[in-house]
Amino acid sequence: MNFFDRMQALDRRYIYLVVALAIIIPLLIPFNSRTDTTEPTENVYKMIDSFGNNPDKAILLCVSHDASTMAELFPMEVSILRHCFERNVKVLTICFSPPSAPLVDYAINTAKEDFPHIKSGEHYCNFGYKPYGLFLPILLGMGEDIAEAVETDAEGRKIANLKIMENIKNYDDMNLVIDFSAAATVFSWITYARVKFGANVAAGVTAVMAADNYPYLQSGQLIGMLAGLKGAAEYEKLVDVFASQQKDFSKEIIRGERVPITGDHKTYGTNIPMKFKKARIGMNAQSVAHIMMIVFIVLGNIGYFVTRKKKKLD
Amino acid sequence: MKRQIPLIIVMSLGFLFAVHTFVPHKYSVDFYDWWVSWSKAISPFAVVLGVMSLFMVHGTKISRKLPNWQYSLVTIAALIFTSIVGFIWGTQEGSPFMWLFKNVQMPMSATMFSLLAFYIASAAYKAFRARSLEATVLLAAAIIVMLGQVPLGHMISKWIPATSQWILNVPNLAAKRGIMTGVGLGMTATSLKIILGIERTYLGGGD
Repeated sequence: MNFFDRMQALDRRYIYLVVALAIIIPLLIPFNSRTDTTEPTENVYKMIDSFGNNPDKAILLCVSHDASTMAELFPMEVSILRHCFERNVKVLTICFSPPSAPLVDYAINTAKEDFPHIKSGEHYCNFGYKPYGLFLPILLGMGEDIAEAVETDAEGRKIANLKIMENIKNYDDMNLVIDFSAAATVFSWITYARVKFGANVAAGVTAVMAADNYPYLQSGQLIGMLAGLKGAAEYEKLVDVFASQQKDFSKEIIRGERVPITGDHKTYGTNIPMKFKKARIGMNAQSVAHIMMIVFIVLGNIGYFVTRKKKKLD
Repeated sequence: MKRQIPLIIVMSLGFLFAVHTFVPHKYSVDFYDWWVSWSKAISPFAVVLGVMSLFMVHGTKISRKLPNWQYSLVTIAALIFTSIVGFIWGTQEGSPFMWLFKNVQMPMSATMFSLLAFYIASAAYKAFRARSLEATVLLAAAIIVMLGQVPLGHMISKWIPATSQWILNVPNLAAKRGIMTGVGLGMTATSLKIILGIERTYLGGGD
């Protein structure tokens, strides 16, 4: 049995070991890598930024996933919340599945730790968990009156009495809905909130779901999309470069800007908290894992062709 | 009657909702508002139904000592324990419920999902072969998209992310749109068949 035959019959446990090392080592030893932002992510950032310091506008974050896809989606939620808190954008959150409810709390608490002035009911409001059976009635009801459709928040307060709801009546005011999901839930927001009420809809999805959303991006029914861990890493960088520095978005600046996640930098220092650079550290692991996968595919194919040629010659 | 009554409900409500979508008359809007308030009242009972169903399925497995009944015991014990913890101390940050979520649910869910990476790597190595022209095109597209998603692709050449984006924006989009059009037409046809009473399999088999 020659080398290629042995490679063809390689025990899969060796592959598992290599994949585990390829993921664990970059997570334990972070290194600086390049993060280039893409237009779908930039569009989400720009729209949220345009609501900054505007008491007549709010955004809604709908968390539709459980803890299994947190690695990709949670950094997106934290980054967007951080952006809203930095730029004083009113942010509302809701979820329709029980496992999502603690995630919403966790994301809000993670992001707001660094913003002591941020108050529930004034700068943000968590509408909490609503049974999935109410998804459509609430989604449609918010087109008329949010306070009537949702009624109470996660703390049991009447939404109509909250300060954050001043000047926020329906989708005309809460004019951006971002759905974080590992499934196809964003389609309902497009079908009803977008088509019936003209709400702007964006998606934060896992990488495997991203391909499904391209038709909606091209048609303009989705104003933007954060695709997988890459989208989360891009958003983290945008918040670091602009929102945290109180600057407006600029394509020219972001194109050339490098934000190191380790070491010193004259603008960003060394103090970017771990929670605000998790996606970029994760992208290091993903980069190495992708390279490993490509190496595996190439090696497997070389072995396949060599073995096939040998069989033909025999 | 077991079949006629559900059929009448489905046909009449299906017809009324279709009419509501196209006719914004006062009666139509009033009917819709009436339905929304009923939905709000009825929906929470689905949770009760779900918990009851869970207890019935797993309770039967435990009482009859069916294969793997121990897992059912863990499921019911976890449900009761988590519910009690949540009802007594609440679900806010710092509560025992949140501790359970962060230290039990989160790592377990992440572990299950992360197994995917290992299976994909193993499957890619063992089965992803350029056996035909179609398989070779798929292989090349996969490698370009994988490289385009990570910083290394940008560092090798600016054409890799551009080509990756083209693959997603053109061939992928065309295929997705074709599939979605097919699914949409299929859904419309099935909905019409249900509303008109032609499709009745949802009622279950036999009387």
